[in-house]
Amino acid sequence: MSESTSIEQEQARGEPMLRLEGVEKRFGELRVLNGVDLEVKKGQVVCVIGPSGSGKSTLLRCVNLLAPPEAGNVFLEGTEITGELEEGVDFVRRRVGMVFQQFNLFPHKSAIENVMLAPNVVLDRGKKEGRTRAGELLERVGMSEKVDEYPERLSGGQQQRVAIARALAMDPHVMLFDEVTSALDPELVKEVLDVMRELADEGMTMIVVTHEMGFARDVADRVVFMDEGVVIEEGPPASVLENPQRERTKQFLGLVLEH
Amino acid sequence: MDQIIEQYFDLGVMFDPDNFDKVLDGFAFTIKLSIVAGVLSLIWGLILAVLRQTPGRWSFVVRWPTIAYIDVFRGVPQLLTILIVSLSLAALAVGDNAPLPRFIGVPEWFGQPAPFWYGVIAITLTYGAYMAEVYRAGIEAVPGGQMEAARSLGMSYGSSMRHVIVPQAVRKVVPPLLNDFIALMKDTTLVSFIGLIEVVQAARDIQSETLNSSALMLGAFLFIFVTIPLARLVDVLIARQQAQTERGAA
Repeated sequence: MSESTSIEQEQARGEPMLRLEGVEKRFGELRVLNGVDLEVKKGQVVCVIGPSGSGKSTLLRCVNLLAPPEAGNVFLEGTEITGELEEGVDFVRRRVGMVFQQFNLFPHKSAIENVMLAPNVVLDRGKKEGRTRAGELLERVGMSEKVDEYPERLSGGQQQRVAIARALAMDPHVMLFDEVTSALDPELVKEVLDVMRELADEGMTMIVVTHEMGFARDVADRVVFMDEGVVIEEGPPASVLENPQRERTKQFLGLVLEH
Repeated sequence: MDQIIEQYFDLGVMFDPDNFDKVLDGFAFTIKLSIVAGVLSLIWGLILAVLRQTPGRWSFVVRWPTIAYIDVFRGVPQLLTILIVSLSLAALAVGDNAPLPRFIGVPEWFGQPAPFWYGVIAITLTYGAYMAEVYRAGIEAVPGGQMEAARSLGMSYGSSMRHVIVPQAVRKVVPPLLNDFIALMKDTTLVSFIGLIEVVQAARDIQSETLNSSALMLGAFLFIFVTIPLARLVDVLIARQQAQTERGAA
């Protein structure tokens, strides 16, 4: 396909996996994103932190076009994806996996069926091949014991791990994590973060919106601090988290880290 | 007192082999009509409900006519629809320049007489509209995160509806759909107006011969015999769903 060769050419020129330029998003009168620039290179893990309502989740939704931006450009592997129409949008989303705060597993399907559904429907992957692959993915997230269990019988942490496997089943090039541990009981947070850490170690490109500062410090290549719809400060975790330059960042980290 | 009991519960009239067979045959016809019209209404209702939810900028082209249809057919009495369908279709299919081909105007599909199909069509038109509203409630009750999750996996809107939203929605609305089916079953008796011998007509014929209402009572019993278990089934399903939601919330 001509599209894939152009992607390869762009990558050869050192295009980042993902690039956002002046992205703006409004919900009615409410301006949620006010011109966000961001670059994520292949294999990088970028953690986005910031107070609630700062536009972090909306930023992720702009990347996979669940909430298409009103202005600005989003480039995925060198190709502009803003303004894609229906089928182009679906094609973009196959390359961008997303995991949600509320898991959003399909309650009428077992764990393995959750993982198999999209590859079966979208990629036309056969049932048998799909099942083998889904089984491997569930094993990778430590859920091989619960393959045929329905979501309502799984703990939050287990549901979230299935949701990660489900997103990985489409072989995405980028993974978006939207506060994926915020709805979990504290003792279940680690098992999910461990899976994400492994994924990062394997070289997956990830954007992680999170309140887990420990995770950001250990795993992120870059930390981005957002407030009121703009990026206030960004850089390596050591500098942003331990030696923030901007007043807003200091204030926020003071509130988050003081206990 | 005896006279009253005899008027309604004359076992001789009820179980006179001739009468009993007539009423039972009528009821069998009622059941047949209910099942055919019921299944078609379930399908037609789902199609309408999905069309009503069409997203996108130009979707009103589909949504508005669908909403208009649902409003109209819920607002018109079933008897009127039955009369309009049966009298108009046949009229449109006769003559030299008939706008409708005969097999549509005088449908005798699967060996059933045309009035049977007029009944099926009219009831499906009306109950499809009712059931569309039930399905709609079910679709709207599926959390928005489900559609987002499906779409974020690269599934199209259509696939997401088909594999994720509609299966969940249908499960939620089985009880109210069954309630609609009970109502549909009772409304099928209106086809007696277009010359079909269903249970009510059969019993009326006996009533006018004997001046005794026991055959009508027999018809009523037959209905109750079917509708009460259905009503209990609805209760059981609702209780089960409630238990499930409570477990989910815990």
